[in-house]
Amino acid sequence: MSTKTAIIAANGGLFDAYKVFNIATAAAATDQEVAIFFTFEGLNLIHKEAYQQLPMPQGKEHLVEGFKKANVPSIPELVEMAQEMGVTFIGCQMTMDVIGLEKEAFVDGIEVGGAVTFLEFAKDADVTLTF
Amino acid sequence: MESNHVLDAKGLACPMPIVKTKKTMKDLEPGEVLEIQATDKGSTADLQAWAKSTGHEYLGTETEGDTLRHFLRKAGAIEAEGVVIPEISLDEFKEKVDKNENLTVLDVREIEEYEEGHIEGAIHIPLGEVEQRAGELDKEDVIYVICHSGRRSELAAQTIAKKGFKQLFNVVPGMRDWTGKTI
Repeated sequence: MSTKTAIIAANGGLFDAYKVFNIATAAAATDQEVAIFFTFEGLNLIHKEAYQQLPMPQGKEHLVEGFKKANVPSIPELVEMAQEMGVTFIGCQMTMDVIGLEKEAFVDGIEVGGAVTFLEFAKDADVTLTF
Repeated sequence: MESNHVLDAKGLACPMPIVKTKKTMKDLEPGEVLEIQATDKGSTADLQAWAKSTGHEYLGTETEGDTLRHFLRKAGAIEAEGVVIPEISLDEFKEKVDKNENLTVLDVREIEEYEEGHIEGAIHIPLGEVEQRAGELDKEDVIYVICHSGRRSELAAQTIAKKGFKQLFNVVPGMRDWTGKTI
């Protein structure tokens, strides 16, 4: 009964991070097999330093309060939860080469691969999302 | 409604109530009831959808001020246990009841359901308490186990079969279609 969800994270803002990780953790909690392919700015979402203070979109800074009030978990917390529930993180090799970062710059437990690595997973996915 | 475990997810935003439910459900035994207390208004729809796709049974939600109390029953026993309980159809069972045979009937529904109407003389032990209260029953008796639709009664019969009860019958479907007398 396992459903597969494939997500591409291509943007590096705080809102993007919530979209990606909320869907990913919710899917994993519903017994789905989940993989996220982090590419281009999406790599910020799992970068050890960057993911702790991802930027709000311009003009939306006032929402910081709202996030606190709604008791929304932080991105590092969501990342940890997602990994705990078995979500696969795939870092895009090509982007990493372009920006000159190694696997060690990112949270532990990620895989590094190219487009085909993701496509292999996504080819029979039931849900495919791009953020 | 009675529950075996309570999960406090009050004050947490989506997707945390679901994530916590998933983690807590892992530690429950099949057939046990989990109560999830949440203040996230989206949690009602989310938990219903979650139950549907994970196979657990959504029993309902009670509202208490700002707190939503959701009740879910853990699935999985039928596949996992593999103990086959003989079934008896409701019609055949009704004939026996009508003939005034001295039957031992075990009703494993929740207290609210039982109080709404049950077969006279039925012993009431809700599914969640069957394991610990099995001692109240006689192992030598022929016991007809009944619930609303026949699913919980199967779980209950499987639970007590493991304790050495040999003569168990699962009444199928159950009180849902019962046309006989109730009190």
